[in-house]
Amino acid sequence: MRAGLITFLTTVLLWALVAQVNHYLGGAHVYFFVGGLLIAFGALALPLMAGMGVSLAIGGVCDANAFVPFGTHTLLFASAHAVIFHLRDRLPHDDLISRVVIALFANLALFLALSFILIDRAPAPAPAWIRLFADLACSQLFLALIAPWFFSLQQRALALGRPVPAWR
Amino acid sequence: MPPQRFDQARPFATLGAVIVVWLILPAAVKTFSRATFFEFTAPIATSASYVRDLQEYWSLRAHSNSDLVEAGRDLARVNASFAVSAQHNGELEAEVTRLEGLLHLPALPGYRLESARVAERDLGSSWWQRFVIRKGRNFGLTEGAPVIFTGGVVGRIKEVHAYTAVVELISSPGIRLAATVDGDSRPVSYEGGDNPTFGRPRGSVEFLPLDIFAQASQPRRLVTSGLGGVFPAGLLIGQLVKIEQSSDGLFNTGIVQLDPRLSDLTEVTVLEPAPAEAAPPP
Repeated sequence: MRAGLITFLTTVLLWALVAQVNHYLGGAHVYFFVGGLLIAFGALALPLMAGMGVSLAIGGVCDANAFVPFGTHTLLFASAHAVIFHLRDRLPHDDLISRVVIALFANLALFLALSFILIDRAPAPAPAWIRLFADLACSQLFLALIAPWFFSLQQRALALGRPVPAWR
Repeated sequence: MPPQRFDQARPFATLGAVIVVWLILPAAVKTFSRATFFEFTAPIATSASYVRDLQEYWSLRAHSNSDLVEAGRDLARVNASFAVSAQHNGELEAEVTRLEGLLHLPALPGYRLESARVAERDLGSSWWQRFVIRKGRNFGLTEGAPVIFTGGVVGRIKEVHAYTAVVELISSPGIRLAATVDGDSRPVSYEGGDNPTFGRPRGSVEFLPLDIFAQASQPRRLVTSGLGGVFPAGLLIGQLVKIEQSSDGLFNTGIVQLDPRLSDLTEVTVLEPAPAEAAPPP
């Protein structure tokens, strides 16, 4: 419960920081999407229910702050979480590089899934896809840059939030 | 070994349970959850916006007194010009009211102007284009109210929350407005949605009459038509810069270039419909 809450709060921090970056990048029409990073730590390091709770909650936050039917991000994040959790014992998920690579793949899958769901809104899909691929490339680069810091932050926050043994 | 097999399928069983719960959850619960999540995160965007204002304040404090005197002098000139315009506007409004009374015409819809700071710009790829503004139900804003700036239409209010509201921009995919080409009364359909990376936001227009021409060197202004009851007539949407024949040959389609300032706005004005006044006795 405590680990889930700490992970959720650090995830909300990341979401808020990325929202501020996107605020400043609005004029250049560049958008960073980091959905894969939002769920990666919960899926790789937490027990199933705690991690799934974090993915559902951050999905709810993303849904409430987007023009999508409520539940779109939530269910996509939950699906990605289930897949990563299912595979995590077969992957080297303890070292940083592997975690970053898993987050990148999750981000790619989530971005494409969201794009396929929302592409019918665009009046002309061809130019919309060009913009989407440009944003996807920028997002992946941005994610690769910030993922080591974010995983360290979550690891450190969990260590700080660990309950103190009673005998001390 | 059934237990191990189930252990491997446990994430997907949990996902299935989540999907089932989601499907049977009443719409009211989903609406409540959405509002709760939004209100939970709204202070983050609002406080970041106040911090930006504070940064701006301190950067302005760094200006010298002579800069301030110069800015005050420029402002006095602009104020004088606006005072003359306001006087002229008052005379025109009185004339309109007099003519309405003479001809027994229904009064034109009035609007209350509500200025609001942009707390957060969320121009999400080709998926959505939205602003969060720092006024909501606490200032009596309502869903669907038009939002404008000095360059024309910004969009319309899509969601109203306790202290904030969400504006859907005219560059957002899927937004549709009834418009007219300036100087022509026939309505056309405007649709937003094309926002190229590092480029100007664009929209498209459909059902253009065949006798309307425009090109990049001779653009035509596209303005709101006043039809549909949301936007008053005559507000600038953008410049019609390219026209092509539609596939059916009955109408033309066109490309509309929107104001580049649209993506960098920090302050907007909401046109809140004013309550209708009782008609004066004849």
